[in-house]
Amino acid sequence: MAIIGTQAGPALSTPDDTPPPYEVVELGGAQGGWFRRVGWSHLVGILALAFSLFPIVFVVSAALNPVGTLSSSTLFPTQVSLVNFTDTLAGSFPRWFANTLIVGVLSAGVAMFISASAAFAFSRFRFRGRRGGLLSVLLIQLFPQFLAIVALYLIFTEITDVWPAIGLNSIWGLTLLYLGGALGVNTWLMKGFFDTIPKDLDESAKVDGATHSQIYFGIILPLVRPILAVTGLLGFIGAVNEFLIASVFLTDDRAKTAAVGLYGLIADDQTRNTQFGLFCAGAVLLAIPTVLLFMYLQRHIVGGLTAGAVKG
Amino acid sequence: MAQVVLDKVNKKYDNGFHAVQDLDIDVADGEFLVLVGPSGCGKTTALRMVAGLEDISSGTLRIGDRVVNTLSSRERDIAMVFQSYALYPHMTVFDNIAYGLKIRRMSSTEIEQRVRKAGDMLELGHLLDRKPKQLSGGQRQRVAMGRAIVREPQVFLMDEPLSNLDAKLRVQMRAEISEIQRDLKTTTLYVTHDQTEAMTMGDRVALMKAGVLQQLGSPQHLYDHPDNIFVAGFIGSPPMNMAVARLIRSDGLSLQLAETVLPIPESVVRARPGLARYVDRDVAIGIRSEDMEDASLARDDAPESRVRAKVALTEALGSEIVVHFDVAAPKPVTADTKALDKDAQTSDVPVAHRGNVFVASFGPRSRVRPRDDIEIVVDRERIHFFDPDTGHAIRD
Repeated sequence: MAIIGTQAGPALSTPDDTPPPYEVVELGGAQGGWFRRVGWSHLVGILALAFSLFPIVFVVSAALNPVGTLSSSTLFPTQVSLVNFTDTLAGSFPRWFANTLIVGVLSAGVAMFISASAAFAFSRFRFRGRRGGLLSVLLIQLFPQFLAIVALYLIFTEITDVWPAIGLNSIWGLTLLYLGGALGVNTWLMKGFFDTIPKDLDESAKVDGATHSQIYFGIILPLVRPILAVTGLLGFIGAVNEFLIASVFLTDDRAKTAAVGLYGLIADDQTRNTQFGLFCAGAVLLAIPTVLLFMYLQRHIVGGLTAGAVKG
Repeated sequence: MAQVVLDKVNKKYDNGFHAVQDLDIDVADGEFLVLVGPSGCGKTTALRMVAGLEDISSGTLRIGDRVVNTLSSRERDIAMVFQSYALYPHMTVFDNIAYGLKIRRMSSTEIEQRVRKAGDMLELGHLLDRKPKQLSGGQRQRVAMGRAIVREPQVFLMDEPLSNLDAKLRVQMRAEISEIQRDLKTTTLYVTHDQTEAMTMGDRVALMKAGVLQQLGSPQHLYDHPDNIFVAGFIGSPPMNMAVARLIRSDGLSLQLAETVLPIPESVVRARPGLARYVDRDVAIGIRSEDMEDASLARDDAPESRVRAKVALTEALGSEIVVHFDVAAPKPVTADTKALDKDAQTSDVPVAHRGNVFVASFGPRSRVRPRDDIEIVVDRERIHFFDPDTGHAIRD
């Protein structure tokens, strides 16, 4: 009975009339059909995909629709033409697009640097008011930004009188505003990440003779790249997509960002139907820099850069 | 090269914790001084104060002929090896080693030359373009050493540099660090909690407990002449055997250890005049394991040197046989012994329940077995005497 020795369960004294033990051996607990085990997750995935792709497909096909009206738009285009794109690029859109890029890049870049500097100080130095500073940054962040719109509007009206370059109807003024808005969240986010960089590295550099700024630029910043990429990306997307404040601040057509300008195309009832194709073409073009930036930063948005810093 | 002088150096934190108290250490030029003690004894804090990473609350710190209390780390001309190595993960080995030189704006040819030299010295030559995460623990340790060496500083500071290595590598690196230090003749302060490292590496050893320097001297001096029970118990492996015995006068001085009476040689009494004050009082005695020998192997066959015991356990190590036996006399209990127990993490076992087990190392030809009744010859010249209350060595 050599076979019995290889079967599961007590093999000794198996009566002759019971089925041979090898039939009851089950590997794993696979029960039910393919759909119950795996298939349902595919179904959920497909539904989620359809749900999220629907608006994108709709906008892309509306942008490609040569008639260019809302009423003629379908989920899948019957005719394809680039006429909406050429019309959009012939109008004010290039100007808006440039404004958006300037505001986005500048506010994301500068906010990244300011927040990183603040986070470095909060993470590495012990000074009077450190705790209070951190908490007030958080507290101020808790108020929704549009609560402040009236106050900001009044302040910027005054500034416009004194120094129009950073007042209303100027992308520079808007950039300044975005910088302040992004500081709180970014500082907290970054401080958390900075705290995970071992302090030994700072001290080691200090003993090697580095100054605070050499430590900051030479040691810390290269190691916090993932969080810089995340905050930079979020800042850029936030600035590109921001509409509420921008619509209050920018009324001059030349100063508008793309979000404000594109909204203007379909703002009133007469034009909503006829300019929908232009609007969609602009929206598709506006998505390109964000997608490109995301694809570029993707490889930086990985943790584990500090692996191997300390210990073996 | 420079000497390092700590003069009544104190570290007191804002919360009132007094981490280092009146530390007086004078490290000679080119000396290798080991700061050793159990964790939390202030040795690392002391080192960090020398490095300039921790403020000095009071006292004077001199490196060379400069008082450096208020100077920043970069102005002190020191190099430090961290327990965690603290290699910069985004730089190659070359850049890690060269970092301190680049900061000092040295010419690139000079940097190249120095890094190559340090790389050869530490056998890192083929690894210079790797990143730290591609290195093994031992190699990272070498890079950390290289970073210190290449700077050619006045003082090396090392904070438990070997504690992250496995036992075999630790022994090897121990020898290498000693050798490098001897070649470079750079003044070195080395912090460790491992008494073996302290014994084998240091020219002198400073033993600390709870922020207070206990004894400073050559490793052999600390081993042979401990100032108190803490030093006696911390230095040496296995730790010194301790028991409370009564000092009686019978034809000279004798020790009554449980039922046994051990006459104390005249030379010992002469060297320790203070013993006379303890007649008819308890003393704490310490005997190192190698100062006991199987009576059947011993040349000193004076019957008064012999102690009878029942063997509890034997461990044959080839070169020696370690014999455990119970002693009926209690262990001394002082602040020192409590600190030692805490260090050995045995403090949660009540002392009374453990009894007092002595450990002796016999020659390899001894034939003792567990549960044997044996006779042990004690080297009475080398018994250590301590006050059972204060723990101080009894001398004069």
